[in-house]
Amino acid sequence: MAPRRKIVPPGDAPRVIDQGSVWILVAAPSIWAAHFLISYWVAAIWCAKLGRGTSLAEPRWIIAGLGALCIGAIIGLAVLAVRRYGGVFVIFEEITESSERGRDRFVGHVALLLCVLSAAAILFTVIPGMVLGQC
Amino acid sequence: MTEEIDLSKPPPAEPYDRARDEAQRARLMKVWETPTGWRRISAVNNSSVGKWYLLTSFAFFTFAGFLALLIRAQLAVPNNDLLSQSLYNQLFTLHGTAMMFLFAVPIFEAVAILILPEILGARDLPFPRLSAFGYWCFLIGGIFVCGSVFFGVAPDGGWFMYTPLSSDPDYSGLGADIWLLGLSFIEVSSIAAAVELIVGVLKSRPPGMRLNLIPLYCWYVLVVAGMILFAFPPLIAGDLLLEMERAFGWAFFDPDRGGDPLLWQHLFWIFGHPEVYIIFLPSIALIATILPTFAGRPMVGHSWIVLSAVGVAFLSFGLWVHHMFTTGLPEISLSFFSAASEAVAVPTGIQIFCFIATMLVSKLRRSVPMLFAGGALAIFVFGGLTGVMVALVPFDWQAHDSYFVVAHLHYTLIGGMLFPLFAGVHYWYPFVTQKRMSDRLGRWSFWLMFGGFNLAFLPMHWTGVMGMPRRVWTYDVTDGWAVLNMVSTIGAFVFAAGFVVLAVNVLWPRGKAPLVVRNLWNAGTMEWSGEVPDKPWGVRSIPYIHTRYPLWEQKELLGEMDRGEWFLPDAEEGKRELIITDILDARPLYVQRVGGPSYLTLGSAFCLGAVFILATFHLWALTLLFGAGFIGFTLWWLWTGTSEIPEKPEKMAGRGLVLPTYAQGNNSPGWWAVFITMTGDMTAFMGLVFSYFFYWTALPDFLPGAAKLPGFGWLLIGLALLLASWLTALAARERLAGGSAGQAMALLVAGVPLGAAGIGAWGWAAWSAGLDPTEASFDATVWVLILWMGLHLLLDAVMRLYVAARIWRKRCTPRYRADSANLTLFTHFLALTAVVIFALLALFPMLMGGA
Repeated sequence: MAPRRKIVPPGDAPRVIDQGSVWILVAAPSIWAAHFLISYWVAAIWCAKLGRGTSLAEPRWIIAGLGALCIGAIIGLAVLAVRRYGGVFVIFEEITESSERGRDRFVGHVALLLCVLSAAAILFTVIPGMVLGQC
Repeated sequence: MTEEIDLSKPPPAEPYDRARDEAQRARLMKVWETPTGWRRISAVNNSSVGKWYLLTSFAFFTFAGFLALLIRAQLAVPNNDLLSQSLYNQLFTLHGTAMMFLFAVPIFEAVAILILPEILGARDLPFPRLSAFGYWCFLIGGIFVCGSVFFGVAPDGGWFMYTPLSSDPDYSGLGADIWLLGLSFIEVSSIAAAVELIVGVLKSRPPGMRLNLIPLYCWYVLVVAGMILFAFPPLIAGDLLLEMERAFGWAFFDPDRGGDPLLWQHLFWIFGHPEVYIIFLPSIALIATILPTFAGRPMVGHSWIVLSAVGVAFLSFGLWVHHMFTTGLPEISLSFFSAASEAVAVPTGIQIFCFIATMLVSKLRRSVPMLFAGGALAIFVFGGLTGVMVALVPFDWQAHDSYFVVAHLHYTLIGGMLFPLFAGVHYWYPFVTQKRMSDRLGRWSFWLMFGGFNLAFLPMHWTGVMGMPRRVWTYDVTDGWAVLNMVSTIGAFVFAAGFVVLAVNVLWPRGKAPLVVRNLWNAGTMEWSGEVPDKPWGVRSIPYIHTRYPLWEQKELLGEMDRGEWFLPDAEEGKRELIITDILDARPLYVQRVGGPSYLTLGSAFCLGAVFILATFHLWALTLLFGAGFIGFTLWWLWTGTSEIPEKPEKMAGRGLVLPTYAQGNNSPGWWAVFITMTGDMTAFMGLVFSYFFYWTALPDFLPGAAKLPGFGWLLIGLALLLASWLTALAARERLAGGSAGQAMALLVAGVPLGAAGIGAWGWAAWSAGLDPTEASFDATVWVLILWMGLHLLLDAVMRLYVAARIWRKRCTPRYRADSANLTLFTHFLALTAVVIFALLALFPMLMGGA
């Protein structure tokens, strides 16, 4: 007779949040989204309230400064993805090991890729802020 | 002390015993049997509902395709009068609407409902009755919207229903109401499916399938269902505003009364652009599943595809204004969206490169599914490149609303969505029917469609550049578009002929044809583990998965599953059972019992459909009657089919694994479903908040003077009462857990009048300030926020009384209290909504110096 062992249902919420496993996947793109929306709002409200032809000198620095801040935060996330999760930057990934470590490395790897994509997308958003001089 | 079982080293299975195997199979068969005859409509199993969903979507596709042929016939020659202008407007509107809302999105849900549980090695999705409810909503709503064309009252304002064309009664009639209400109803079914699929991927995976082992298809389903949750609700908010203006004259889009027609465009495209990716990603997911099979190796860059799916999902929400480049927004705003539109090409391209890399490093087997997949990539890349062109503001100013855009969008959608889907039809046909399609007809249909498509749509790039506007009813011979249009029309009919060949190939009766062999294509994913002939239970026993392509990498798997050596090989209690696992590592958490065949979901969907249809014709008394019917059927369904107290607290699941038979709080899929639904609800609410700030940004005098603002004192009292009502739900949960069922019931019921008093105070604040929603956009916005809160409180009251009744009838007890936990979660969202509304009505105007 097979031994009867009991399983402890551990619940989901604490594991998901404490290990950050799922959140780190969406953190970097969320930072992109926040930067994008704030840049859009700042410029839209600035132009709507001050009218056409207004100089964009001030919002420009808000957008660029915020961009630098966000990229800094993303670099922090990338470091976390590498150090804590063991994420690597490879093309032929074969992280198919069936273990918690394998799962962490996979999440870290994808999070790292998303950090690169999000940082690039933020740079894309900053460019028009730098180029256009007025509303 | 209990310990966790190590799934990689389970105790050995008991020796095979034929008599036991047959008895188990007989019991499983009885439990999972699909009703026959006319009772079949009560079926809720994913294999039945998925098939209906698929066939219904294709029926709407055929209908919309037929409309397209009529459009092309009208445009074949200059100065044609085959169709009247009014009918032509209805045809192109209905063509776009049906293709987008009745085909492209539902077909994703159809395919996912059909194959997702099998790819996950699960018996069904966690809420089978919800799937059935969603299907019936889709069917009823779709027939209502499409049927309107036969009465000459189909919507005629274009598939994006721009205001004021759609809001001014001089330019729009019943058709606009049919569009708004019919599609809101269908969006309900999309959101229902999204909830089902998200919980399915997160919680119904087979034991052992950790995040790094999830098949690509499931990643895509998760991402797309998440996108639906954030994209569809803003449109529901927009629908609400537009219908309030149409039915009751509220001032949202009328510039004379402080409204702004551009608000509709924002709300529509916040939905509409992500929708393009909601359509595209699931089809690309089909290619990502088919390709490894014919390449005979795992996908190159599995994680890069996950990256691009997640990346596209986010970036696609930053593109909506690129549909509005010509509306006169500041150039800086346009540039942000242009930049994001270029950025999204990066992750999209990564997926395509992964596919090409996989093809290059393997020796590809030739097959009809791969033919369609190859055609899809060719067409899609072409459409993607014109997409990069129209994402540039100056180019778009030239091409906007011309046939160039028509060509672009058909290249992306037909290449990115339709051809991969046809590849999927050929690939999974044997999985569904256990028969094979004709390869010869398959090749014929491909080449007819591929050739016909390019013949029809390639010339449109030139007609567009030559100045032909989209949606134009006819043109003059001097415009110089006649030859190109004739070519397009011929191409469209060739394309249609290809589809007819495909339809014949699919529907051809193959009663006497031999059954296919098991795992016909030698695929690696779990859906091909099904026995031939098919069994209704999905999997004989639920296996332990520790690889990405189990059928390739776990050699013994099929035999072990068939002999019932894995989990839940039996149905001793006569119940349909699934294993619920955790999100990260798919460790088994508990055995979920799901509902079997039922007419309740059908009744519920029918009543809800009647509500939307009757509201279109302003038959308010009947609307209310059917609304009550809807609530009645839904409560009956919940009462008899959810959170049932098990006959024993835990059961043997096999291989030494003992699992609980009841779960509550965040262990239960129901809790996650509430969480996900309410996230969607918050997104719709955010659509209203966006509207508020949009008016404030765009209109200099949106906020009225202090005298016209709702009274701060009453708003504060209202907020206090609403928060007190929320606290009663919290206290009720605690009291119930503490064993005091009576106090819990009293607290739940007491929360109802508190909520009513709270909303009453808010209503009084607005009323006494003399706010008239038909007068000004500020007044209408205040009232719609209060209305939003009121509708939610109504739902809250019904749920409180329901849970109190459950406690009274001992269906929700101090030990088994999932209902109470789910209600509390709902009230958290309600409290948040109340605080935000208070901030908008009381605090923001004060900050801006309005008071």
